[in-house]
Amino acid sequence: MLKAEFVEEAVKHGGSTKREKRIKPKFKTGQKVRTRNLNPIGHTRLPRYVRGKLGVIHHDHGIFVFPDTNASGLGEKPQHVYSVRFEAKELWGAPGTGGGVIYIDLWDDYLEPALKRAKPKRVRK
Amino acid sequence: MNGIHDLGGMHGFGPVVREKDEPVFHADWERRVFGLLTATLALRKWNIDEFRHAIERMGAAHYLESSYYEHWLHAIETLLIEKGVISRTELDAKIAELGKQEP
Amino acid sequence: MSKDHHNAPESDVALRVKAIEALLTEKGLVDPLALDKLVDTYENKVGPKNGARVVARAWVDPAYKKRLLSNGTAAIAELGISGMQGEDMVVVENTPKVHNLIVCTLCSCYPWPTLGLPPVWYKSAPFRSRAVSDPRSVLKEFGLELDPKVEIRVWDSSAEVRYMVLPERPKGTENMSEPELAGLVTRDSMIGVTNVTLNSNSGSKA
Repeated sequence: MLKAEFVEEAVKHGGSTKREKRIKPKFKTGQKVRTRNLNPIGHTRLPRYVRGKLGVIHHDHGIFVFPDTNASGLGEKPQHVYSVRFEAKELWGAPGTGGGVIYIDLWDDYLEPALKRAKPKRVRK
Repeated sequence: MNGIHDLGGMHGFGPVVREKDEPVFHADWERRVFGLLTATLALRKWNIDEFRHAIERMGAAHYLESSYYEHWLHAIETLLIEKGVISRTELDAKIAELGKQEP
Repeated sequence: MSKDHHNAPESDVALRVKAIEALLTEKGLVDPLALDKLVDTYENKVGPKNGARVVARAWVDPAYKKRLLSNGTAAIAELGISGMQGEDMVVVENTPKVHNLIVCTLCSCYPWPTLGLPPVWYKSAPFRSRAVSDPRSVLKEFGLELDPKVEIRVWDSSAEVRYMVLPERPKGTENMSEPELAGLVTRDSMIGVTNVTLNSNSGSKA
């Protein structure tokens, strides 16, 4: 139970979900990436508007708990979170959307390298 | 999940409505719900991601028609029951008991 | 979602909250005094005046500004500001060429230690839906019209990193003291829906 006398400390300290782990990042700053087209019925922090889109890694925030697994009892699965930059045109189509560049924080598991084939390889019969 | 909470890019919600000199809390129950989030997270029966997902599971119409702290109340109530901290029966009984005391 | 529309009557909602708190207290799981303390902290103690101090310091101290932009959490902590929903902070700078806007499209993520609790509009469908797709129209509603050449950067707080805008220092403030400068910095300028002007006042929430 959180007692009144510990509230100040709890508030001041908070509860960071950053984790000190030795995990290599899958992506580098400046690298082009494509967000995966994930549609889980469980919890995810990958919004629909940014799925299957081309972006650029802006910054690596470090390693954090992964909400998709953490919300369904599958564990923390800590991994790198990146600030990824998307052009408005990539997300919304034609110009005249008021412009803007969107930066969104995305986990390793949401991303793949942009050079990966968007379509599956043709199978030789 | 592809729920209604995933609002980025949606159309049709109209202008941003602002309240002049908006207070931090609009009612006393909002204050209690606010405190209850941190207090119940401290029980370590669920984490913040489960909390957010409980809100996402509200159902689209319910989500849009209810206020922000009602979302928190729904999630806290749902998780307390799902995790077996309290039962639906005892909550209903307590509501009935306190309801009789209300003017 | 309008705050005026409740799915259930207000009294029913209040009763449900009362019942939960009573049950959990009886079971020795929550301390009502802890709830009181949490409420008091965020209703009366933590608020945008914290963020305003950070901004004012960055305006007067270039070395601090550099630290703030490279490690927001540490620099903000130098001023004794830290904690829940601000454990991992990033501060983004407005310049003549770049204007920043913060949103959480998925819920309501907001840097509590520097700005306190978010206003209802920040958590509402109109703002959350349009900030990422049409930021200029949102800014216009707040009275801010930017030159088309200014790049608007919208930061969607989808993870646990919390964002704050470092607004531009307005002209004509050269002789102001740090506390006077902090007095100009509004909450809305640190979200990025407005700029700081000589007429703005941190006492008003806007």
